[in-house]
Amino acid sequence: MRRLCFFCAAILALAVAHPAAARAVDQPPRVLGFERFHAAETDTAAGELVAGGQLLLGELNCTSCHAADASFAAAIQKKQAPVLDSVTSRVKPEYLLKFLADPQAAKPSTTMPNVLAGMPEEERRPIVDALVHFLATTGTVEHTNPMRQHVSRGEKLFHSIGCVACHDPRTEPPAAALATSLPLGTPSRKYTLPGLTAFLANPLAVRPSGRMPHLNLTPADARDIASFLLNDLEIASGLQYAYYEGTWDKLPDFSKLTPKATGDASAFDLSVSPRKENFALRFDGTILIDKEGEYLFLIGSDDGSRLLIDDKVVIDNDGIHPFQQKRKKVKMTAGIHTVAVEYFEQGGEEVLQVDFEGPGAPQLPLASLVVATKSPGTAVLPERFVVDATLASKGKDYFVSLGCASCHTLRKDGAPIASTKTAPDLAALKASGGCLADAPSKSPWYALGARQREALAAAIGAAKVPAADIATDVSVARMLVRFNCTACHDRDKLGGVEEARNVHFQSDMPEMGDEGRIPPTLTGVGAKLNPEWLKTVFAEGAKDRPYMFTRMPRFGVENVGGLIEGLAAADAALIQAEPKLDIDSTDKRHKAVGRRLVGAQGFSCIKCHTFADKRSTGIQALSLTTMTKRLRRDWFHAYLKNPPGYRPGTRMPTPFPNGETTLPDILGGSVDLQTRAIWDYLADGDQGILPIGLVTGEIELMAFDEAVLYRNFIEGAGTRAIGVGYPAKLNLAFDANEMRLAMIWHGAFIDAAKHWTGRGAGWEKPLGDSVQQLPAGVPFAALASANDPWPSTPAKENGYRFRGYRLGDKREPTFLYSFGNVAVSDYSRPVGESEYFVFERKLQLTAADPPKNLQMRVATGKIEPVKDNVYRIDDRLTVHLSGDAKAVIRGQGDTAELLVPVTFTDGTASVTITYDW
Amino acid sequence: MKYAACWLLLLVTTAPAFGQAKADPEDEYYRLLRFPMNEQMVLEAGALELMPDGKLAVATRRGDIYLVDEPLAEDPTSANFSLYASGLHEVLGLAWRAPWLYCVQRGEVTRMKDEDGDGRADLFETVSDGWEINGDYHEYAFGSKFDRDGNLWVTLCLTGSFSSEVKYRGWCLRITPDGKVIPTCSGIRSPGGVGMNDRGDMFYTDNQGPWNGTSALKWLRPGKFVGHPGGFRWYDVTDGAIGPRPREPQSGSRMMVEAKKIPELEPPAVYFPYNKMGQSASGIVCDLSDGKFGPFANQLFVGDQTHSTVMRVFLEQVDGHYQGVCFPFRKGFGSGTLSLLQASDGSLLVGGTNRGWGSRGSQPYSLDRLVWTGKKPFEIHEMRAKPDGFELTFTEPIDPKTAADPKSYSLNTYTYLYQAAYGSPEVDPTTPTITKVNVAADGRSVRLFVDKLQEGHVHELAAEGIRSATGQPLLHAQAYYTLNYIPKQ
Repeated sequence: MRRLCFFCAAILALAVAHPAAARAVDQPPRVLGFERFHAAETDTAAGELVAGGQLLLGELNCTSCHAADASFAAAIQKKQAPVLDSVTSRVKPEYLLKFLADPQAAKPSTTMPNVLAGMPEEERRPIVDALVHFLATTGTVEHTNPMRQHVSRGEKLFHSIGCVACHDPRTEPPAAALATSLPLGTPSRKYTLPGLTAFLANPLAVRPSGRMPHLNLTPADARDIASFLLNDLEIASGLQYAYYEGTWDKLPDFSKLTPKATGDASAFDLSVSPRKENFALRFDGTILIDKEGEYLFLIGSDDGSRLLIDDKVVIDNDGIHPFQQKRKKVKMTAGIHTVAVEYFEQGGEEVLQVDFEGPGAPQLPLASLVVATKSPGTAVLPERFVVDATLASKGKDYFVSLGCASCHTLRKDGAPIASTKTAPDLAALKASGGCLADAPSKSPWYALGARQREALAAAIGAAKVPAADIATDVSVARMLVRFNCTACHDRDKLGGVEEARNVHFQSDMPEMGDEGRIPPTLTGVGAKLNPEWLKTVFAEGAKDRPYMFTRMPRFGVENVGGLIEGLAAADAALIQAEPKLDIDSTDKRHKAVGRRLVGAQGFSCIKCHTFADKRSTGIQALSLTTMTKRLRRDWFHAYLKNPPGYRPGTRMPTPFPNGETTLPDILGGSVDLQTRAIWDYLADGDQGILPIGLVTGEIELMAFDEAVLYRNFIEGAGTRAIGVGYPAKLNLAFDANEMRLAMIWHGAFIDAAKHWTGRGAGWEKPLGDSVQQLPAGVPFAALASANDPWPSTPAKENGYRFRGYRLGDKREPTFLYSFGNVAVSDYSRPVGESEYFVFERKLQLTAADPPKNLQMRVATGKIEPVKDNVYRIDDRLTVHLSGDAKAVIRGQGDTAELLVPVTFTDGTASVTITYDW
Repeated sequence: MKYAACWLLLLVTTAPAFGQAKADPEDEYYRLLRFPMNEQMVLEAGALELMPDGKLAVATRRGDIYLVDEPLAEDPTSANFSLYASGLHEVLGLAWRAPWLYCVQRGEVTRMKDEDGDGRADLFETVSDGWEINGDYHEYAFGSKFDRDGNLWVTLCLTGSFSSEVKYRGWCLRITPDGKVIPTCSGIRSPGGVGMNDRGDMFYTDNQGPWNGTSALKWLRPGKFVGHPGGFRWYDVTDGAIGPRPREPQSGSRMMVEAKKIPELEPPAVYFPYNKMGQSASGIVCDLSDGKFGPFANQLFVGDQTHSTVMRVFLEQVDGHYQGVCFPFRKGFGSGTLSLLQASDGSLLVGGTNRGWGSRGSQPYSLDRLVWTGKKPFEIHEMRAKPDGFELTFTEPIDPKTAADPKSYSLNTYTYLYQAAYGSPEVDPTTPTITKVNVAADGRSVRLFVDKLQEGHVHELAAEGIRSATGQPLLHAQAYYTLNYIPKQ
């Protein structure tokens, strides 16, 4: 990549030296709407050619020199050139030297003309020098290098939030360049990271005409997209990961393991792991603490994790557990510190989240403190550009006299510099020569294509006669093309997402299909959205569809405000009069009916739509609370009668099929009254009382006189868990995939709400207390030698089969499974009295031909003998073993194993274990 | 004033939430009887089966199995429910084979019986767990009744309905009487039900999504690939049971273009056009009552969860492939139609739920019985493809004048993108001309000559103008024929 850039730079140097040679390959200025809708040679309709030419007149900013009458100027909405007030605080002067010497060579397809094109090199060079020295008085650039984590996040943002609606995707290998994309070239030649970040954070400040809209980027978004666009600079990384595979009950000693993979990480998260089970990670990085003070660190994980700062354990969150967060306050000195995060996951859900809170600051991901150790990189910085005051003063004169100031605003001492350059009025122009000449001359050189010249000539010709009034729908269409709205939206068959870009429009709700990922059609939008809302969208942008990655950017009311009236007028005929209803919209009983209709016992809108920040029980469609602020009420009445009529193929069910309500008993079955009740209820927005059925409470399962079974996804016991709650308030979970007693706990059994409401997504964890995890892996194994490791592969691969269970008089299960020719019955029951119960577990094994050296692994962890056949496990659980067999503690420390030999007599054997905790 | 009156109506009529369904023209022919529901018994009916003693077993998404005494009693409001089993994992298949009740849970096929005779099952045996689940709620497993060889067929939804993260997601397996697994078809996306036709061939419904332009009824022809390539990796573990892994379909193509390139690809027998017929196809049952359920013997009845309907399907075989037509049949079920079963008296038992997916039927769960009144509706009985058009037969004699008029019919066609993206709009539309209509001498059928048929398209017919001999319009004038193959004769 760097080599390539060097090569480009070499070409550039040549191009500057031999401008005539470069002329032959100049790319015409790229105007996206022209390329998409007017460039085809076959498009010969005269009116269309004029329209294409008028588009160019605006986009090439012709009327800044060639004055047009006010109504014409208003119709073409010229694209103002960039504001240069502080141009060299974002753009490198070195780049400006090249760019002003030959704009088309430095930035192919630029709309900036070469005003010096007709001049020989020796005359041009000093002028360019002077201009750049003048421009360089507006500020100085800062150089910093992008960070790896910012680049990778920026890459995702660039390709998802809508940048690629107008620009080519920047993928490896590069996608084919589209004629309808604005080329970005190699931004690092022009911008520094702080400079591009500032531009992206508010493009309207520099380019006020809204062709590059404001995407409502957070400062971090802007930095990250800029980092990605500058990813040919040396990248700094302050965070590395190492990835390990294996099965652990607690964090392993990483120093003794060999990682399966290592690399730069962008955050303390699990995105670097290809697996979801049986893996571990260690992150190592450096963080910069700006100011001394007390910092709160938070580490949350499922399963275990640990945070180390400057090689000392700060938070220990080890062990197998559901998501559990621990926090600690630490006094930090200002400066660089090393940080390490260790993590492992055995089974079930997996989460890692590491955050911090600085003094008086909100909680943020710890990754945001990560800095590169060798910032800003080892690359040699360009020498700082030194302004020569004499040259700058000359440059200012050129800026005024050459017409730079005709197009560019540059404020000095508060006032814009005025241009002294004059040019004929638009209406007086000939439709050839001058700027339209096909070779450089004294006029500004745009490198226009033949089709562009033809269109401009047609538009200039048409400008000589008073323009006929343009129909509203035509002027609306032209605005949509001018601002490239048509890159994302279609309207009456105009525009829409191009096939080549379609793949970059994505959502996190794939089930919603195109509705979830493609911005909505603008067909009929003037009859749909209320004008106040449109104004808000133009002024602020919008993000009402949280599932859609593409954002509606901010174009500025001053730029696109004309669409508000235009769309309303163009679509006026589509407005259907709403029914006349004699009702009091503020009546609380009326709103209550609306609430009922929206809820689970009504039309179940909440099964798909969110309600402000409350998630729906199914997909997460557009919030119901946005409806009345966005939509016209008459449209809402019409739409609910026929959603597919407005959105062909919509997943929105029809509440009123064939014009009849499916709830005939409410409000006399009146479709209009029902619709209005919904509207009036929703008008309360997020102040409304929550719809019925949106928030469901706990569904606690309780054992009274019989055991209760619950087969589902239970955290810690697998996808085929069988939970059992006993009346004695002891509970267990058996893993029917691994044939192991996985967990035991006290008190409340389980809350079934997660699985018994909505679609039932997620894992449920025990509802009670002191949950004890029992050993992972198969319960029995034949070990040929005392040193053989316990099998760590899945039970099915070890010949185990789950056979089912038999329920006793009180519905308590005896689990049945087998391995080899051994059949096992595994029965647990609470024993004890009043408040104090323990589990007694009896395992019966039968086999015609029993395996030799069969062992049962009863416990793993720190194992201490208490007395004969009694062991304390991890200071949390006591197991009693009955019978004659002598148990063995194998291994030591935190990874010991308690093994019991299983001895068969007449084809049967038994093990009895009591768990007391 | 008017408003106050409405209020009164609301209060009076909504108190008993479980009344009879509203009067509907369909009521005259097929009556809906609604079993009472309550909050204590959450009857999200995932599967239905009749027990040898005549009781109805209803398995729920919460994992309970209830038995209904006298399910065929005229007055369902006095039905008695008892709990037979509980604590199972989202049961979506029930089948009886003495002395066991088999159920399909998410993770396994289980058989159970009541050994101590207290009315509750106490022995649960795992028959097969030859597939895997990884904790995603969408990994549903739907089970069939027993086929002619005693096998149960299980269709396994993809992980999240998009990919196949663990073994056999996106496959149909047969489970033999001794618990062996026979990999049977690949290409499943998100099934909604499994059922046999009168010949014992097995079908399932799949739902709109990736590689499924709209919901469809598909033939589970052993060895075939039925559309979604997400589960292809598991060919590696089948030991060649159904041959090698097929080539990947080309996204954005059309089903019949790909079917010509991929010999294993079996096109859907019947598409259910989105929003027109339904949005979520579900349970399947064949009318084997020999007339007790009306004039549609041996036709298939298929639920739609979103529309809370039961649709009707007529199939024929062309070039060895099943294809055919769907018709609207009956709407108004209490909740989202999911499970279907035909009772011994011919009536249909229909279970419903709308948890997680909304439905027109506004009850959260339901059990309804659909009974033929004995009065024949005037309907298109069968629709068959011909080389140059279609043949329609009717349930009642037709008026030759309206039947012979091409203007009594309108016909348009379209197909769907066969693509990796979610769903598809209707594409490649055509409007063929009905050039001629011949009415049969017996006045029971017509022959439509069409210029021209479109291979691979849904042919959407509306016979609005036709009248019966007694002047009646059709109860349902729409028919949607999936013409994958144009018969040569």
